[in-house]
Amino acid sequence: MRDIRHLLLLSLSIALLASSACRKPAPPPPTEVVLFSAADVPLDPSHTAWQGALEFTAALIPQDLVEPRQLTPSTTAVRVRALTNGVDAAFRLEWTDPTANDLPGAARFSDACAVQLPSKIEATVPAPQMGEAGGAVEIVYWNAAWQAVVAGRSDSIKELYPNAAIDHYPFEAPSLQQSPASQQAMTTRYAPARAVGNPVAGPRTTAVQDLIAEGPGTITSAPATASRGQGVRTAAGWAVVIVRPLPKGLAANAPAQVAFAVWEGAHEEVGARKMRTDWIPLALRGNP
Amino acid sequence: MARTYNWQIQREMSYWYPESRPQRQFAAVFDINKCIACQTCTLACKTTWTSGKGQEYMLWNNVESKPYGFYPLAWDLKLLKLLGPQEWHGEVYAGRTLFEAAPAGTRVLGWRPDDQDYAYPNVGEDDCAGVIEKGASFDIPHLAWFFYLARICNHCTYPACLASCPRGSIYKRKEDGIVLVDQSRCRGYRECVQACPYKKTFFNPLTGTSEKCIACFPKFEQGLQPQCFANCIGKIRLAGWISKPEQASPDNPIDYLVHIRKVALPLFPQFGLEPNVYYVPPIHAARPFLHQMFGPQVEQAIETYRRAPDDPDLAGLLGLFGCTERVVPRWLREKDWVVGAAEDGTELVRVPLKEPVYIRAAFDTQYQVARVNCP
Ligand code: SF4
Ligand code: SF4
Repeated sequence: MRDIRHLLLLSLSIALLASSACRKPAPPPPTEVVLFSAADVPLDPSHTAWQGALEFTAALIPQDLVEPRQLTPSTTAVRVRALTNGVDAAFRLEWTDPTANDLPGAARFSDACAVQLPSKIEATVPAPQMGEAGGAVEIVYWNAAWQAVVAGRSDSIKELYPNAAIDHYPFEAPSLQQSPASQQAMTTRYAPARAVGNPVAGPRTTAVQDLIAEGPGTITSAPATASRGQGVRTAAGWAVVIVRPLPKGLAANAPAQVAFAVWEGAHEEVGARKMRTDWIPLALRGNP
Repeated sequence: MARTYNWQIQREMSYWYPESRPQRQFAAVFDINKCIACQTCTLACKTTWTSGKGQEYMLWNNVESKPYGFYPLAWDLKLLKLLGPQEWHGEVYAGRTLFEAAPAGTRVLGWRPDDQDYAYPNVGEDDCAGVIEKGASFDIPHLAWFFYLARICNHCTYPACLASCPRGSIYKRKEDGIVLVDQSRCRGYRECVQACPYKKTFFNPLTGTSEKCIACFPKFEQGLQPQCFANCIGKIRLAGWISKPEQASPDNPIDYLVHIRKVALPLFPQFGLEPNVYYVPPIHAARPFLHQMFGPQVEQAIETYRRAPDDPDLAGLLGLFGCTERVVPRWLREKDWVVGAAEDGTELVRVPLKEPVYIRAAFDTQYQVARVNCP
């Protein structure tokens, strides 16, 4: 009797094993952002090449470590795909955002996102929040208002406030039109941030900026912006591709980290008021 | 937060950075009683500094009618309400400053104006505080009143703009205490726009950085008063240097008016910023309103000012306002003359204590025309 029971149990477990082997199990969610190899890295977020990369969903947490802190959460997650052609690393960020905020103004904030990597790929990883002294991070920042300018919005107050009435700009005086150089000099004088070459000040040719930081409050423009970026509105929010040089030292056997941040303009997020991820493992992989 | 001393509220207070006073501090006195709201100052600044694209709405200098004029809309009312009761015990402020009342996660209690709030800089202009009833008579203070409040950045000793910037993009110059936004470092976060209680930092939407009054430092560095001072029709303004109260010098015009005669008072000292533009309060407006605006010394300041006709030193110094474009760091009265001098005593300007009055015959016999005599 005991032997029969044993036999029954054995056959039942074999049957269960067999049935589970027939059903295809759902793949476990990825635990790392993987840079898949591709012949080319497309800047267009809707390019089909992106379907060849597995999507990683990164949970976002409020930046509540340094003032000004973000005390109420907004965007909950950002979905990331990554591709590399061996020269560049491209990240496609997609997140849900029902309101498109791409107009600047005293109280209008732009939707934005950023990709952060340590400046050096090594065993010691800098602090995930903007790095730390001696542990620099490289950040590529994309901004919806910049994207709108790159897409053709002109550098005019009428684009922001259609009913604005302007009677005169001194640098547009007819007397100056004979002398483009002095006209340009005067125009620049009335745009102080441009006059001193602040890269955020425009005139704008790219929707992204390369930055370096060594801790909160230290973010500085990189000497030049080598990265490229393009963002588009989707039915539910934004899809943004950021293409930056492949970090030196990144190899299949060298563990690396990446972090992301998203700013929701409608929630008045800017600077330190943002949703961010912790470091996420970043891996180099062949085709999926 | 560090512990610092603020003489305007006569107590220690919390500030984001330790006390670090400049070698010299730019300061100014505005005599509200003389302002005619011609807005020449506003235009002097506008044409000099903010005629660019993205600066259209900015008025680094503005003149608003109180109690119903504001730029931006309700700037003072909103903050007074947010701050709650502001009690003084004598001349010591017993309430909370904006730094002490900072909500969790921020460095300063503040609010950010909406774009629309800047759209009506003349709202409330010349609106009286009340209606004039039948049988009303003129008295001081007036039953119904308004006055003109000219405002620039206060180049505060404890600037809220500077404290709030997480990037340290705002700095206070060691040599003159002028507060500037580093245009190469600013990333347009607008924390300063939210934090400055006087709403004197402005976001430029086309360059994406914040901008503010620079006290016309290229002029000031050359010993010249700023544009909005030099062009003031009402001669209400005097720019110079202010010392700490215990170092006040009677031959320094600003020290004399602020520290020695106490006739010029800071705007909303209870906010805790130690602002460096000082106002001679208007003599005709309601005292509780002025008390809230200029602090507990307002009665005494008005009394001193009203006695100026019998006070040749005070009247003389007030007569020096607007008489030269040069900054006058020293002054003295020589009988019926008031002299403005450079630091080394060199005479820069000399004005009579009383302007001579000439009365001409009503009819010009030479040209056979009637004359109009102006005072
Ligand atoms: S008035 Fe405002 S902008 Fe000027 S120094 Fe003070 S806090 Fe800064
Ligand atoms: S001091 Fe100069 S910059 Fe400041 S408000 Fe006056 S004119 Fe403008």
